[in-house]
Amino acid sequence: MTTTSPSVRRGLIARVIVGRTFLWAWLLVGLVPLIFMLITSIKPAGLANQIPPAWVFTPTLENYASVLTAGDGKSESFGQLLFNSAIVSLGATLLAIAVGVPAAYALTMRDFRARKGLSSWILSTYMFPPIVAVIPIFVFAGRLGLIDTYPVLIIPYAAFNLPIVVWILRSSILQLPYEIQEAAMVDGASHWTILRRIIWPLLVPSVATAAVLTIVLSWNEFLFALSLTRSGAKTAPVGLQQFTGMYGTDWGNITAASTLIVAPILVLMIVLRRQMVAGLSFGAVK
Amino acid sequence: MKSAVTVPDAGLKVQGARRADGRNSTAPHGTKRPSWRKRSLPWAYMAPAMIVLLLMTVAPAIFIFYSAFRNDKILGGAGRFVGLNNFVEAVSNASVRNAFGITLAFVAVAVILEMILGFALALPLAAQTTANKWGAALMLLPFAVTPAVAAMVFKQLLNPNYGWVGYYLGFLGFPKGVDLLGDPTSAWIVLLILDMWQWTPFIALILMAGLQSLPAEPREAAMVDGASPWQMFRHITLPGMVPFIAIAAVLRTIQAFKTFDSFKILTGGGPGESTEIINLGIYRVGLQSFNVGLACALGVIFLIILSLLVPLMLRVIGRRSDPEEM
Repeated sequence: MTTTSPSVRRGLIARVIVGRTFLWAWLLVGLVPLIFMLITSIKPAGLANQIPPAWVFTPTLENYASVLTAGDGKSESFGQLLFNSAIVSLGATLLAIAVGVPAAYALTMRDFRARKGLSSWILSTYMFPPIVAVIPIFVFAGRLGLIDTYPVLIIPYAAFNLPIVVWILRSSILQLPYEIQEAAMVDGASHWTILRRIIWPLLVPSVATAAVLTIVLSWNEFLFALSLTRSGAKTAPVGLQQFTGMYGTDWGNITAASTLIVAPILVLMIVLRRQMVAGLSFGAVK
Repeated sequence: MKSAVTVPDAGLKVQGARRADGRNSTAPHGTKRPSWRKRSLPWAYMAPAMIVLLLMTVAPAIFIFYSAFRNDKILGGAGRFVGLNNFVEAVSNASVRNAFGITLAFVAVAVILEMILGFALALPLAAQTTANKWGAALMLLPFAVTPAVAAMVFKQLLNPNYGWVGYYLGFLGFPKGVDLLGDPTSAWIVLLILDMWQWTPFIALILMAGLQSLPAEPREAAMVDGASPWQMFRHITLPGMVPFIAIAAVLRTIQAFKTFDSFKILTGGGPGESTEIINLGIYRVGLQSFNVGLACALGVIFLIILSLLVPLMLRVIGRRSDPEEM
């Protein structure tokens, strides 16, 4: 370090300054849409879409109250839509974990010859475009009378998150020392006992990561929810459109609803930041 | 650990080896039943996940390959076999060709821009300082926002009459009251900015993790030898980052091909058909015009294009996740 010439050092310092300026400029400009959303959501009626934008006002929660109650030409309250989103996301997560944990375990069994091929197949389904699946699912669900029910979203959400879930769990099982499993087998433990008593307790953090990712991605999903629900199982992101109705957009309501959708996800993502990025890269980045 | 344990352990290992030999040989030695049970056990663990995936990916794939050769309408009852008509229509239709073309262009431009910007953001973000901890958390915020919400918020920000963007850009000399979504060029720029706002952080965070995992010694050695910053970047940092760049690029490319929400909400494919990417095209043909046959033909073409990415994904992610297994 001490042997570097002054000119090289100056170049390095300049580079660091330019880099950091760019980074923080990006971060601050990137906050603008979120600041707009939050501030507009607590503006009193009439100020929400005023130009020039009002920066001094008495904050109010009336938009949130209005959004969460039914009426005003809305077929259902936004609270109901958030509830639908929660049911569908949690249902999809339970299903994905329930089928994903045994599958991930099977894919690490050393005497299972098909494990490589099956792992690759599961990973490759990540490429499958939802738009290609949605038309057949629409037709099947229509014949079975399942349109606008919870399962018609829960099953596709679980399926489309399975590649991530299985790969996260599989790579964490592979990271456990195999000797633990061997020792248990020597003691006569069955695969089921090994999974339940030995692997499951060690796998809980990875299961949590996979579960949170599935919740977030299901909560955020738009295409299936738009195509396969009408009112009964409609989720919050689709319901957001109802605020841009015939009478123009109610900016206070729409930003309050937006904040209600985004807030729980933001909290989850920030708490589990590192795990989220590792998970979304299929464990390829630690 | 204790000798009493290690002795039966060794014995079992020998037995295990013998069993493995027996299974590999063609003669079953009368142990067919247990070995069959043993072999079917992993399949039993796999079965539930496989059923879910078969139902939601393989069955739809079979359906679209079948329906692509028929003229079924969702509301018009069963159609009949029409051979390659749907594909001929798909290929000869100018707006379909346009949809595929702009989809490829969007994916290429978005991924390249996001990779460059993501790298530029990851470099300063990789230094492990307290400020950067906050920086990384802030970085994640746009990426965590529900895409449909992000699109709605952008739509409000860009509102020609009441939007912040028009108002504050007015101070910089931009004309007021312009509908940025009403003109193809500016609509594309807006869609790209939204995509970059939302997804560059994902790439930046992957590359940041990559940069932090690079060993420090080669850099220090090069510095002592008087290498310039550019030389160090070009010959040390960049080669070490290749696997991370590949992962980010492949994942982002696949995700970009699935983009739907922002286009549907911000432009709906307009103005005209200028931003109608293939996802919107299939949605419109299949679920709004109910022309299942044509939508499935488009789906088949789209699926085949995306399948070309699978080997790349398996190589980049499969091998990286567990080098010994794949």
